[in-house]
Amino acid sequence: MDDVVAIPVVPDDVAQAPGSLTVAQLEALLFVAERPLKRREIAALAGVSREEVDALLGDLEVALGERGLRLVAAGDEVQLVTAPDAGSLIARYTGVEGAKLSPAALETLAIVAYRQPVTRGMIERIRGVDSDYVLRTLLHRRLVVEQGRADTPGRPILFGTGFDFLERFGLTSLDDLPPLDAEAAERLVE
Amino acid sequence: MSVATAVEIRFAEARRPEDATHVRLDTFDGPLALLLALIEQRQLDVLTVRLGDLAGAYFEALASIERGRLPLLSSFVSVCSQLILIKSRALLPRAPEAAAIDGSQNESDPEEELRRRLIEYRMFRDAGRAMGILLSSGKPLFHREPATALAAGKAGARPDEGAPLDPLTLADALLVSIKLVPPAPPPAEIVTRTITLDERAQVIRSALRRAPQIVLQELLSDVTDRIVVAVTFLALLELSKGREVLIEQDEPWGPIRVTPREMTDESIEDSADG
Repeated sequence: MDDVVAIPVVPDDVAQAPGSLTVAQLEALLFVAERPLKRREIAALAGVSREEVDALLGDLEVALGERGLRLVAAGDEVQLVTAPDAGSLIARYTGVEGAKLSPAALETLAIVAYRQPVTRGMIERIRGVDSDYVLRTLLHRRLVVEQGRADTPGRPILFGTGFDFLERFGLTSLDDLPPLDAEAAERLVE
Repeated sequence: MSVATAVEIRFAEARRPEDATHVRLDTFDGPLALLLALIEQRQLDVLTVRLGDLAGAYFEALASIERGRLPLLSSFVSVCSQLILIKSRALLPRAPEAAAIDGSQNESDPEEELRRRLIEYRMFRDAGRAMGILLSSGKPLFHREPATALAAGKAGARPDEGAPLDPLTLADALLVSIKLVPPAPPPAEIVTRTITLDERAQVIRSALRRAPQIVLQELLSDVTDRIVVAVTFLALLELSKGREVLIEQDEPWGPIRVTPREMTDESIEDSADG
């Protein structure tokens, strides 16, 4: 097969000419983008494969190391953000004071964050109280986002967390959430 | 067995209805939700809580509560129904067969189910607290916000490129466009016409001053507006109520004759004298 001159087959999600992408170029692209970029989008722009983008993102994450920027990933999207340690400094610069959340809001947010995607019914089953208002507050603050609808009767809305959630809590991905401590809860009940 | 004798309930200004209902027993003092939580954790013997007294105290407290705090009622019903379930299970001995069936897991054990739900809830409540600490530690991340200039560019604004236009050219252009554009028609104005009872009563009164007796149908013969007709009729009834006029009608649809009251009274007196 090697000696056959093959016409390059372009996958659907990749731009015309096969291109190249370096870690530095990827960093520059994410620096300029003022919105989260889809991995697919980056692959199409640079004319490289999804796998290559994934690998380069991994390299970039390592390269950023202890620098002032971090890579945040939520689902298929990635974004360059400031490092957690710079948080209070930047907050002073932008003058943005994060509003506090009530225990009910935090509890609801925890259910959404750990169990996403969840419906309102699932949240209320765990909390045992009506959660419509608190959920709407979280939606309004964009800590919780709609993620489509469940394929169950009534097609209820599925809720999850987005970039704003990760940024507010200083997490670079959902994997950074502290682990759920089921055993401690069990000990308390015993 | 020590039994709680005095039960007292009062409503605090808490936002969550479960916490707003404050319960005081011999063995317990705190929010209603906490009472349930303690009993579920077996830290308080459910047998020492007299649910009848609890309900009685609640009704007493309800009598003094202001309106519009209905959520308190639903939360009380919800918590009490769970208390009743737990207590009835504590009171009734369980048959060994029943336990065997439960063991085979064909039926879910409500107590086990409750325990499982409690663990799950606590897990998320604690996770929420941990997240609250995370939030207050103040290490948010920031992304680049779209620059104002870039946003304006996307919205269609163009930077100033050529030499500024001569103000005279602009003035000329304005004058030409004024001539081209026809003057805008005055906006349509909707004025609601109000017909008052007083107005129509005055019409009837003035008609009665001109004639000793009037017929309503004749008075309204040139009126086409139904509302005016209706209001005039109502005004007539008002006048009759105020003992100003006397209304007579011999048959349905017949002429409605109106005479001033004073005149009629006098005529009655006259006829009595005569």
